[in-house]
Amino acid sequence: MNWLLDLPTLVKVLGVTSCVFGIALCYRLIRVGRDSLSRDKMVNLRIASISALTFNKLLAFMAFIVVAGMSVSIANYHVFSGVKEVRSCNSCHVMRPMVNDMTDPSSETLAARHFSNKWISSQQCYTCHTDYGLAGTLKAKMDGYRHLARYTTGTYTEPIASPSVYNTDNCMQCHAGTRKFEMVSSHIALRKGLSDGSLSCLNCHGSAHPTRAQRTPGHPDYNDLMKQGD
Amino acid sequence: MKSEDDPRSENGWSRREFGQILAGLGVATGTAFGGWGILELVRPKGRATSWRKSVCRFCGVGCGVRLGLNNGVITEVRGDEEAHNKGVICIKGAMLGALPSLIGRALKPKIRKAGKLVEATWEEAMSLVANRFSDSIREFGPDSVAFYGSGQLYSEETYTANKLFKAGIGTNNVDGNPRLCMASAAVGYVQTFGNDEPPGALEDIDHAHCFFIIGANPYECHPSIFERIMQRKRSHPNTVLICVDPRRTSTADRCDLHLPLKPGTDLLLLNAMMHVIVEDRLYDRDFIDEHVRFSDGEDTVDFQALESFLRDYTPEDISPRVGLSAEIVRRTAHLFARSKGTVSLWTMGINQRVQGVHLNNTINSLHLVTGQICRPGATPLSLTGQANACGGVRDTGGLAHLLPAGRVVANEKHRREVEELWGVPRGTISPTPGLDAVNLFRAMEDGRVRATLVMCTNPAQSLPAAGRYRKAMERCFLVVAEAFEDSETARFADVLLPAALWVEKEGVFGQTDRRYQLVEKVLDPPGEARSDLEILVDLAIRLRHGDLITARTPETVWDEWRKFSETSAYNFKGITYDRLQKNRGLQWPCPNESHPGTVRRYVGGDDPLVSSGKRIEFYGQPDRRAVVYLRRYQESPEQTDDEFPFILTTGRVLEQWHTATITGRIPELQMASGPARFEFNDQDAQRMDIQDGTRLEVRSRYGTVEGAAVVTGRPRKGTIFAAFYDTKLLLNIAVADNYDAVSKQPEYKITAVSVRKTGGQ
Repeated sequence: MNWLLDLPTLVKVLGVTSCVFGIALCYRLIRVGRDSLSRDKMVNLRIASISALTFNKLLAFMAFIVVAGMSVSIANYHVFSGVKEVRSCNSCHVMRPMVNDMTDPSSETLAARHFSNKWISSQQCYTCHTDYGLAGTLKAKMDGYRHLARYTTGTYTEPIASPSVYNTDNCMQCHAGTRKFEMVSSHIALRKGLSDGSLSCLNCHGSAHPTRAQRTPGHPDYNDLMKQGD
Repeated sequence: MKSEDDPRSENGWSRREFGQILAGLGVATGTAFGGWGILELVRPKGRATSWRKSVCRFCGVGCGVRLGLNNGVITEVRGDEEAHNKGVICIKGAMLGALPSLIGRALKPKIRKAGKLVEATWEEAMSLVANRFSDSIREFGPDSVAFYGSGQLYSEETYTANKLFKAGIGTNNVDGNPRLCMASAAVGYVQTFGNDEPPGALEDIDHAHCFFIIGANPYECHPSIFERIMQRKRSHPNTVLICVDPRRTSTADRCDLHLPLKPGTDLLLLNAMMHVIVEDRLYDRDFIDEHVRFSDGEDTVDFQALESFLRDYTPEDISPRVGLSAEIVRRTAHLFARSKGTVSLWTMGINQRVQGVHLNNTINSLHLVTGQICRPGATPLSLTGQANACGGVRDTGGLAHLLPAGRVVANEKHRREVEELWGVPRGTISPTPGLDAVNLFRAMEDGRVRATLVMCTNPAQSLPAAGRYRKAMERCFLVVAEAFEDSETARFADVLLPAALWVEKEGVFGQTDRRYQLVEKVLDPPGEARSDLEILVDLAIRLRHGDLITARTPETVWDEWRKFSETSAYNFKGITYDRLQKNRGLQWPCPNESHPGTVRRYVGGDDPLVSSGKRIEFYGQPDRRAVVYLRRYQESPEQTDDEFPFILTTGRVLEQWHTATITGRIPELQMASGPARFEFNDQDAQRMDIQDGTRLEVRSRYGTVEGAAVVTGRPRKGTIFAAFYDTKLLLNIAVADNYDAVSKQPEYKITAVSVRKTGGQ
């Protein structure tokens, strides 16, 4: 019997507990009457007796600083660890073509080849898009916020397209320094272009995802790519 | 119950508190939307302010590219994922953005005076050209002038040159560098199927289960195709890759099976594979009965004749001559024939041979006998070296023996048809085929050809036995239209005309699998450079053939040419400029503007020229059957002996394209490729005490070149490989001067040479 919680579930349980505890504390503070703020009235905590005012100050500190901070931290951790999972990406329907294609064993896109050959064993989306992680660039955070705003307000059109270029640093995280990479003289000659982003790895190694045309409603592949995943 | 003076609402909030909550929500919402708005304003836009679709101008794959532009400068180049190459390009394509600003561009016309090229006006230069051509035609006849073109000119340009020279001037001396790279493939297709150009398409790569790569190194020479093959392999790991090459190339490194045969013995191997296929009954009897005819080259023969012919080619018998075990030959034949779909890919290792046509025939035959053709993933598919050798030269008939759309000079009916279509009197077109590339330069040597217009090519470096033909060029009035003023051929120019390059002009490229793509004009040419079409139109007017060359813009020439094609099996009338602007290329046959183009030729339901109700029909042949030829192996005239103990074979490298006139000026590519060197087998190197950097003199019966050695262990023992791009090496000076008797394509791949150390590293 698997009674141990995995980390994401444990984080969720902790987060929910923290929030419930925080709400209870706030409720308790709202109910505090004027007489409970007296310096004279004592509250017995078994190990010590403190004034009601001090007690309520401690409660307020717990509610507004400690528990709130903990809840925000846990929520952030949950969000940033959760978005690393493929299923998180797949929860936005505009991302379904990417995920469906990646998990299609007959697909020949770069993402699908990385997935089907198990070159990346888990968190396949995030591994190639690490910009979106907690330690990612400010630019990625800004993009992420904009994407979220567009998605939630429905102010986007299919197929989605990035106005900027893919950050080749993400490829280099794994490939740079490997023998297979370094022995290709072209890689060495193009090092500057690859590092400043003026050249794209995708130029020589193929599209990472289905084309814009395939992701456009009405294209023969569109319905297959948009099908609901697991 | 609340009192009168208590301003609290029923939910317990005072008006003030309610206002504060609303204000808070307002601030939060404003912050959220304001932040979003700011981010939309500052969102990354990349270096380019606009993007245009285009086509790479290097090899024959014709990769679609997207050009990012900013202030009239190409700032970014990306593979076009909507094009047939699915976004994959190579290092050369990735550097296309550097082309417009390369050093050494020819900016003004130049005329040779007192041995030096000096600047002139277009009027001076073109007057001189027209006068010299007119004088020569008047004094020595129309066959004393010639046009030597290129698989890099746009179709409209070669079509116009062909029309001007064949129907205007009256000479069939129209040839070009495609003769050096794909003439054997073209003749091979015509002999087998009745029409030039491949039956299959690049799309077949996505469906193949076996790749038979012979005499080709797509990893370096057609990288986007090799990436496509590897994508197939990575997504379908049971796909088998077979490479036949005397050298362990980068392609061979990635193949499942490498057959390093002795240079020049491919036909023995192919016939032995056919022997195994017949002996082990791996052939497709139904396909043969319905679609195939056998021929010994003169007469139709039966299947028994094939069996009898193949008795001389048992794997065991040919094994010592080819240098491969009988077992690997049998295994290859089985893999080829029993695969669910086999695609054969070949290029110069097959075409640049004295038996180039016969080799092409036999590859096609292997597919026909096994039924590995006319279905997805099963086809013979010759790869092309230049961006527009197929569409621009083979289709337009820009070779000495050809007329447009598959017609030939030697056929009177064809000449009459073309004369009628071009609106010239009967008998205008000379019945004598013109001079092919090698013989054209031999005619310069002996004075038969006195004036030649060379466009967009570099024969001083690319011809075999180049030393001989460089001298021949000195004897001819040579007009060179070229984008760079310091190419090897420009050294021999009497008049140098600055030409526009790639997106500085507009035109159509026709590539590997009958695919026409439009290259739109994006930039203005530098200095006074003009498009080759403008130069040809100017020359036509000056030679008083302006009434013949009435189409004078790329689109009007294209319209004339596409309407011309309607009368042939090359029908692409439906491929208009408008469609090419909207689409990423279309494949012919494409008879009308609603036709989507043809992926697989000769296949009913795909090819509109197949008779109704037929599943497969080889309509190019009178009996609707493709021909399997029984082709005997003949040794190359170049054989090793005591004086010349090595075989020199030539080729290309990933980062340089052909004679490196363009790619040699791009620092990244130059750094990646380095100088060309002589690659040695390690056993040969050890025996001769040759190390990396050892300076060598390599001498053949045709010339001597000097360069450095590199010991890679890649070439087969007794074989030396070198690339021909390097102007400091000028390798082709040493290459043999033999050619295929039918296609007239030179045999670059087999030259017997001696090697001598000259000292130094």
